[in-house]
Amino acid sequence: MRATDREIESLNQDYLEKYGFHDAEEYLLKAPRGLNHEVVEMISRYKNEPEWMREFRHRSLDIFLSKPMPKWGDQEALGEIDFDNIYYYLKPKGQQTKDWNEVPEKIKQTFDRLGIPEAERKFLAGVTAQYESEVVYHSIRGDLEKMGVIFCDMDTGLREHEEIVKKYFGTVIPPADNKFSALNSATWSGGSFIYVPPNTKVDIPLQAYFRINAENMGQFERTLIIADEGASVHYIEGCTAPVYSTDSLHAAVVELIALKGAHIRYSTIQNWSTNVFNLVTKRAKAYEDAVVEWVDGNLGSKLTMKYPAILLVGERAHGEVLSVAFAGSGQHQDAGAKMIHAAPNTTSRIISKSISKGTGRSSYRGLVKMTKGAVNCKTHVECDALLIGERSRSDTYPTMEIAEDDVSVEHEARVSKLADEQIFYLQSRGISEDQARLMIVNGFIEPFVRELPMEYAVELNRLIELEMEGSVG
Amino acid sequence: MANPVTAVPEARPLLDEAAVRELSQRLGENEALLERRLEALRVFADTALPDRVQHLWRYSDPSRLLPSAILGAAGPAAAAEVPELPEGGAVILLRAGAPPLVRLSDAAEKMGLRVAALELDGDAADRLGTTVPAAHGFFEALNGAAWSAGLSLEVPPKARLEGPIRIVVPAAAGSSIPRLLVRIGELAEATVVEEHAGGTEESYVTSVTEIEAGPGAHVRHMLLQSWGAGVAGHLTTRARLDRDADLATIVVSFGGSRVKMDLGAVLDGPGARSELVGFVLGHDRQHMDHHTVHSHRSGRTWSNIDFKVALTGYARSAYTGVIRIDEEAGATEAYQENRNLLLSETCRADTIPELEILTDDVQCTHGATVAPLDEEMVFYLESRGIPREQAERLIVRGFLEKTLSRVPEAVRPQVVEVVEERLSHFLGGHR
Repeated sequence: MRATDREIESLNQDYLEKYGFHDAEEYLLKAPRGLNHEVVEMISRYKNEPEWMREFRHRSLDIFLSKPMPKWGDQEALGEIDFDNIYYYLKPKGQQTKDWNEVPEKIKQTFDRLGIPEAERKFLAGVTAQYESEVVYHSIRGDLEKMGVIFCDMDTGLREHEEIVKKYFGTVIPPADNKFSALNSATWSGGSFIYVPPNTKVDIPLQAYFRINAENMGQFERTLIIADEGASVHYIEGCTAPVYSTDSLHAAVVELIALKGAHIRYSTIQNWSTNVFNLVTKRAKAYEDAVVEWVDGNLGSKLTMKYPAILLVGERAHGEVLSVAFAGSGQHQDAGAKMIHAAPNTTSRIISKSISKGTGRSSYRGLVKMTKGAVNCKTHVECDALLIGERSRSDTYPTMEIAEDDVSVEHEARVSKLADEQIFYLQSRGISEDQARLMIVNGFIEPFVRELPMEYAVELNRLIELEMEGSVG
Repeated sequence: MANPVTAVPEARPLLDEAAVRELSQRLGENEALLERRLEALRVFADTALPDRVQHLWRYSDPSRLLPSAILGAAGPAAAAEVPELPEGGAVILLRAGAPPLVRLSDAAEKMGLRVAALELDGDAADRLGTTVPAAHGFFEALNGAAWSAGLSLEVPPKARLEGPIRIVVPAAAGSSIPRLLVRIGELAEATVVEEHAGGTEESYVTSVTEIEAGPGAHVRHMLLQSWGAGVAGHLTTRARLDRDADLATIVVSFGGSRVKMDLGAVLDGPGARSELVGFVLGHDRQHMDHHTVHSHRSGRTWSNIDFKVALTGYARSAYTGVIRIDEEAGATEAYQENRNLLLSETCRADTIPELEILTDDVQCTHGATVAPLDEEMVFYLESRGIPREQAERLIVRGFLEKTLSRVPEAVRPQVVEVVEERLSHFLGGHR
């Protein structure tokens, strides 16, 4: 057996030792498997939601049931999803708490291993740690509250700030947008709700850690972030997940609203275990002079389908998507970005980097659209793919629809393998082949890493290092 | 959860076995060719009209490229002038309802160039459909069952033809279904100019061209689409390149009203090279949809695409390109570039350049741009005393020049004439 084959076979077998861990489940309430109007009714009743949200969920369920599965993308992997074999709602033990000492010991252990207390000691503003479908630990620093910034989980947001939620919820991503947004709209639970009042700058990033910890459990977070006129906020979401034996579905919906002159940056690093289907709808609306940035890193999962979108609806709005995908053996990272230029003088930039290793497959799927009347717009799209191993695969599916002449649209893509001469050069300087490969890969994703806060950059580099271990072919 | 099956659209022309048998008999085909047709007919019967969810059909409505009647409704053979015989080459007029009109130069004859009506080529059945099988798609299955103007062309091994082989395919009233089978032998060299011309708003064309390039062959394939206004047409061409074969495809497409083309090469032997250059000029309300494919199945292969689109008026263009590199095709390089120039406020360009790469030992890039005339360039030229109109014309000519220079001499004057005429329309505040 050749070295590369060995490497491909052994890849991710040691996921457990590397970064997977799994605590015994403890729940107060577990809905039966499968999805129907009774389950939706139960979720809504249990959460004591207002009537409009209950109706919204039922309406969304009807849409979900009537919509076909997407006919594009990885049909084989999508076909494996069994919607009837999923738990749509779990209520973890323990009440919501603001004090770290009150967090149940089991859950604390999980967070300890994720390094949250460390991070918090440094400079984090608030931690909304999502354990299962409900937020169990939540702290907001006093000065944020003084500034009038709302940062809580979505359920609390709905309870305590219903008028804001009602105004914006589902306006950027309506339930009928796609099958998975309909699913989320019917069954959502948890996620973050952030409102930043006008002309308020949140200097420190707001963070939430997400975890899935039950076999066959769907996780349907719903996040809504509103930056009012002239406000600015940076939200960070990071995920790791333990190892499971059967498939797990993650279908989040994230809506961002940047009002006039506002600035939102949303950073994610996801490292789901390789049995998770990660089918996420993320979309932002940027009004006049607003700036929205998605910084998106995808390392784990069996299949990720995620195309962060920005609707540039106000003049001079600017959108950026910066993404990195790493597909190891057996994984398919189907990621990309969408930019809809619907107003004059809007600008955007998409930088996508992907790495396919072993039998991994990464796809860039993107859309840039310039509508009639969106004059003097500019966009630049760049996709770079790095292939490691002769059975790796890279696809690029960019779409550009341009209905206006006074615009500038540029798209470039490059695909190449790890260059032997670069490795040779580094080896000639006394660096081992393993080290050389790692250095080249780290160099490749450097433009992405430097946009991350320091501890995330360190974590990402460490994850890449774990993924690259023993990759000498 | 199972996906619901999409219903087959109703607007599907009728084609039955009796009609296909009748056509075959009328053409005097042998049994093997009839068998090919019937195979294609079976595929056709099982093939739905392309679903517009499929991305290659996202921008064009397939039903608008189809005549209501495929067979029996074709008008009389289109009257067309036989173009001048190019020096050292050959000229062929290909129409339905009449045998191909062929003129060979002495040199072509001496070198052993074989030209025959496809229906009368006894060996054709073995090769027909090997490069473009009926399973390729709806229009290819339709063509495979119902082609009515067929040409078989063969350049023998090691032959070197100095002049071009010019094939003129006029569009008839009603439905035209040409089929071309071109074989270029080992180490042979030839230029084939395939020209689709004529036609009116009553014309529908469904054409398929298969090119086989033997080991080490050098082929230049010019595809010139200059249909009359109103024509709706679907053209498919595929070249299969053997080891070390070298293909240059030059595409110029400016005629017709609703045009869809599926152009490509399969690099099937080590060392094969394929280059495709082309431009589309769209004006008025023309709908132009062009697709290119470079499929690398073998190692040490090279390909390049340089596809340009210039639009005025209400014209609309969609370009989709795919580079596909198979697992076995290591040490391969592939490049693709699509540039779109928008010369009016009301035109629209869509572009989807795709890559599908299944192995790591590759060098691959693609790029796409969509933009209006560069005002800085116009300003620069104006600052040198060149009037704005002339400056604009110069810039558009410059945009097309690299491709124009690749157009074979035999048809270059007529291509340049169209370019100049379109440019003069565009000038003078036509924006």
